[in-house]
Amino acid sequence: MLYASDPIITMNEKYIQTIGLALIVTYGAFIIFLYAAEPRSIEEISLKARTTVEDAVSRGQVIAGTYEIDQAKFNEALRAFRQDNFVAARDSFERADPERRDPRTQFYIAYSFYRQGWGRVSNDDALFKLALESVERVVLLNRDFRSDDTNLQLRTPAELRSELQEGLEVTVDDFNPLRLIRERK
Amino acid sequence: MTENEVEHVGFADVTGELVEESSVEDLAVSKAAEIKVVRSDVGRSVNQKYVVRYVVLPVVLLTVTMLGGLRLNAGDSSLIFLKPALLALIFAAILLALFFRSGMIRLDGWFAEDFSMLKNTANAAVLLSLFAATTQLFNSLLPEQGLPFWIICFCFFWTLWNNLFADFDTKKLFRSLGGLFGLAFVAKYLILANLTAPANESWIQGILENPTKEAFTWLLDLPRFAAGTGYIQFFVAALYMLGLFLFPASTAGDSTEKHDR
Repeated sequence: MLYASDPIITMNEKYIQTIGLALIVTYGAFIIFLYAAEPRSIEEISLKARTTVEDAVSRGQVIAGTYEIDQAKFNEALRAFRQDNFVAARDSFERADPERRDPRTQFYIAYSFYRQGWGRVSNDDALFKLALESVERVVLLNRDFRSDDTNLQLRTPAELRSELQEGLEVTVDDFNPLRLIRERK
Repeated sequence: MTENEVEHVGFADVTGELVEESSVEDLAVSKAAEIKVVRSDVGRSVNQKYVVRYVVLPVVLLTVTMLGGLRLNAGDSSLIFLKPALLALIFAAILLALFFRSGMIRLDGWFAEDFSMLKNTANAAVLLSLFAATTQLFNSLLPEQGLPFWIICFCFFWTLWNNLFADFDTKKLFRSLGGLFGLAFVAKYLILANLTAPANESWIQGILENPTKEAFTWLLDLPRFAAGTGYIQFFVAALYMLGLFLFPASTAGDSTEKHDR
């Protein structure tokens, strides 16, 4: 009696092992995503997944050297900035440059903190400190950065940093009544 | 079976007997109707075994991995995914060592030079799934914080450490683990959960209506989870035991050996 070898079974083993491997990798990645994103409901899973994919894409672009800011969101942010709607402007600037790689966008974020925190009588120290952090990011990205926006009176990180540091310090000049007629830059 | 019958079976080895040339000719000239093909279920069962080993088993273990750290918030039943503590990973490593020592998993039956690269990789992935599931099972059964966490951790460590030096066979180990996990489940999801005060009460209301539970919750630093958490974790523990039951000791030679559990 002959026991014929069955080549189909051998092929099936390989297919099943490949399918199993793919399944483990996919399911494992999903589990890692769940524990990293920590969605609070089933509906939130898709939202978090979209955010994760967008983050991964922009990081991939940074690695590949093809990263660009979202121009539409930048323009939207600039409109809000010029209308003194600084919170909305910052939100749009951050979405336009999620990887914080563009010095121009980061400079506008710093400037929005400055303008929002500026006060005729006193400044908001917390916002000024955040502005300083953003200015430092701009310097790290481009030491020689100079804004081409003619509406801004402070065009370089050094000028903006100087204004912010002055605003954070308490000096005798702060009690000068003429300060009440000064203008925001 | 007559000499004209050909049996299709699932063995890779070919065995045969020498047939005289005249017989082969006879076979060749036989009418097609006379050659009966006898199909066997062996091939199907081998395929089924591969599906169980490389598809069903990982799905079971990864489901345990996914749900092991899931808790439901007592207030709004929102999902909370808790990452495992470092001790859970250490316990999982000890338990895997125990599996190897007891012969429940034979390392040389899962990795070998004469296996194909694909088979070794697939086997490694299945074993990794087992490690992840074991870690998450400990994450599920260990209390999250406070004194109960350290007490239960100590009990687990004591038991696993003792087992590491005991002579086990697979059957005894399987039963011992069932008992160990069952007890840990009862301690956490029945005893400690029932000592926890409800979350939707105010502090003063809790003191007035449930003074003992409030005291235990405060003293033992018990987290407040929804009742659904216990149901999910019962499913997780049961699924893990099913995964262990399905786990073959070896994949070498596609042997039909089974655990005596």
